[in-house]
Amino acid sequence: MLRNAFRLHRWGWIGYGVVLFASTYVQAGAFVQVAGTTAAGRAAFARSMTALAGQLSYILPRPFRLDTLDGYVQWRSYGPLALVVMIWAIAAAAGAVRGDEDKQLVDYWLAARVSRARLVASRLAAFGLAALLAAVLGVLGYLAGAAQYESVNLGGAAGKMLTLWLLMLTLFALCYLVAQFIASIRGAQAAGTAVVVVLYLLAVLGRTNHSFDGLSWVSPFTWYDATTVLAPGGSLDAAGVGLSVAVIALAGVLSVLAFARRDVRGPLFAFPQREVAAKEAAPSPLLGWPVARLLYRQRGIVAGWALITAAMAVYMVAIAHSVVDSAINLPGMREFLTHSSGGDPYRGFIAAFWFGIAQLLLAGFAVHLVSGWAADDTEGILTSVLSMPVHRWAVIGERAATALVGTAFVVAIGSLAAAGMAAGVGTTLDAAAVFRASWLLVPFVLTYSAVGAAVSADFPRAAVGLLGVLAFCSFLVYELAPLMKWPAWAANLSVQQLYGTPFLTGVFWNGLWGMLAVVVVGFGLATLLMQRREVGQ
Amino acid sequence: MNEAIRTEGLTKDYGLGRGLFDLDLEVRSGEVFGYLGPNGAGKTTTIRQLMGLAYPTRGSASVFGLDCHRQAVEVKRHVGYVPGEPPQFGGLRGREVIAYLGAMAGGVDPARVKSLCGRLQLDLSRRYREYSSGNKKKLLLVIAFMHRPELLILDEPTSGLDPLNQQEFYAMVREARQGGATVFLSSHVLSEVEHVCDRVGIIRTGRLVNISSMEQLHEIRVHRVEIEFAGDVPAEAIRRADGVDGVTVENHRVQCVVRGSFEPLMAAVARAHVVNLTSHEPSLEDTFLEYYSDPGKEEVAAAC
Repeated sequence: MLRNAFRLHRWGWIGYGVVLFASTYVQAGAFVQVAGTTAAGRAAFARSMTALAGQLSYILPRPFRLDTLDGYVQWRSYGPLALVVMIWAIAAAAGAVRGDEDKQLVDYWLAARVSRARLVASRLAAFGLAALLAAVLGVLGYLAGAAQYESVNLGGAAGKMLTLWLLMLTLFALCYLVAQFIASIRGAQAAGTAVVVVLYLLAVLGRTNHSFDGLSWVSPFTWYDATTVLAPGGSLDAAGVGLSVAVIALAGVLSVLAFARRDVRGPLFAFPQREVAAKEAAPSPLLGWPVARLLYRQRGIVAGWALITAAMAVYMVAIAHSVVDSAINLPGMREFLTHSSGGDPYRGFIAAFWFGIAQLLLAGFAVHLVSGWAADDTEGILTSVLSMPVHRWAVIGERAATALVGTAFVVAIGSLAAAGMAAGVGTTLDAAAVFRASWLLVPFVLTYSAVGAAVSADFPRAAVGLLGVLAFCSFLVYELAPLMKWPAWAANLSVQQLYGTPFLTGVFWNGLWGMLAVVVVGFGLATLLMQRREVGQ
Repeated sequence: MNEAIRTEGLTKDYGLGRGLFDLDLEVRSGEVFGYLGPNGAGKTTTIRQLMGLAYPTRGSASVFGLDCHRQAVEVKRHVGYVPGEPPQFGGLRGREVIAYLGAMAGGVDPARVKSLCGRLQLDLSRRYREYSSGNKKKLLLVIAFMHRPELLILDEPTSGLDPLNQQEFYAMVREARQGGATVFLSSHVLSEVEHVCDRVGIIRTGRLVNISSMEQLHEIRVHRVEIEFAGDVPAEAIRRADGVDGVTVENHRVQCVVRGSFEPLMAAVARAHVVNLTSHEPSLEDTFLEYYSDPGKEEVAAAC
């Protein structure tokens, strides 16, 4: 049972293990590049980063000993990794409960006389093992990166690994418990996300204001942040470790009790269905039109990412003044914010932070769109569509048009939100530059979508994984190329590099042509592959 | 065009002896053709070739004279299809699935959809994920029938349907035939194809072994029968009855195998006091094993 359950996490631990390894490795190497090797330089760097950290508390923990490599890795790498592993824990828990039930694996196991308690324990143990392997890879990345420059803190790394592992397992156990209440896998994912995001926001409150410390101590993210053992002078927070273990055990026991009291594929509490007027409503007319019908089916994805993008745009514009005003007097930050921005630090901030984050968000949007196309294939919907008088090339054309329209919508909502917020707080944005940088996000997303379309046209089950790896490698190349002084052709392998910095420096035409070439080749290849392949196996 | 479906040497070789081999088949316009075979025999593989969802290793398939691969879109203008495995439309409501696929099919009359749903007692307001497997099958049947296609290709359409809805489905098939449509229906249940089919093709391990009329099919049909008597068992009369084999007697109970008609067995027990009689249709694979265990009968089948 444990072996079978662990097997279901194999791609998860490999994928996230690679991300953890790369993150700690890159940040360990980056520290020397950005902070220098002298004590004075590192102290100045730490001051500037500490000033910045207060404004980035939504993503980074409180800084501690940023004048050291170990402190920097703990803050810059292990900090955001909490967000990364959160996604894994949510998805894995919903899949372990509702995905397994949808695939009737649970029926099979229960029929094979596996008790419900043993099944829950096995799923927790299997994820624990997978998370441990990923966490070990994270430590190996730190060791490999840091050992090139200075002596490594093996004990501290083990301590941080322990807390990261406990964080993953705690979030998984909580989401596993939440999934007992909701019958569908998407509902379980949404409910798990809601719970984890609330816990995360509580931790963020604690980071920004000490008066919230009492409240934030219910959050596993706070327990995780509290361990600073990797940095010199840091400590392992025994209370946080103890609380994590207790929550894992409690959530496990409650999951067993809940699972024992509900039907397989049923929620913990089932209520008689009520008739509602909406159920009798006519189907949306959008379902009758090409492109509109696929947009309608993917409306949740488009609306969700539009909301996230708008919220992030509003937040970034809202904090622009305070971040810039507090950081501008620090020499390192002044250079960072005014470099290539014509001396305007606000432009520099918007370019570096907002459009940087927008690329990350929209790459996620592209992966999510492609996951829908791949699911259409594996769930038999493509077979149903192709049993109608529909050309195969039209399927790919519809996907391309959906990506185009959906991206334009998400980008427009994000830009309008940013512009509206800027007007509200009295920040003057260069409208032409915002427009330029915004519309170039459309070919940026289409580039990812085209690659995803090509992969999903022939290997739908691998599409999301491969596209995720591509997005990750693309960001990695973008980060590493200037640090490692890679040649331009290598740097241009990154989609981020092809996008360029249009807010500051105008359209990078070669990059734009490169993206358009990938779009044409990607969707063209997708059409060819779709034309040749067999469907419904 | 007198042929609705025609295949010539149609082969899909998956290796290791799996797939479909040298299928030569003609289905006439206006007939209901049963495509019978045990699990894994190649029924779905054949249907996927006809629907242009998979490509042949060699040979050809056509529907109403249109090549199933080069003219796949044209073919599907004439076809209604029920896949063997239901798709997963997740949170879409039944009526949304109908609207989505109906717009692609074209020419769907809402009154026709309403009528079909009424007959099959299908609630279109529910979300697809809330449907039982039987209701999913009903929705697929509505989708296949809703645009009144000239050819219905149905891959095990009654699996998951309760007996009442099976009867309604048989009625829908008969009506479609009366309306001039052709029906190609796969199944692994012999008794099912007897309800509606004019002819039956039998496929086994990827090869078409027999095409029969329904009368010829009765020769193949086998039943395991158990009869309980109040008094003496007319064992000798039963053993002498035509088409009855494997007779075993235990106390007042007889077990035997009946091929074809039941009349000789009924005549043999007519004078005895029968308390109980049960008849089971074995699986198609068992029927084949029974039937083809006699080489002479295989020759008969080949000659059909």
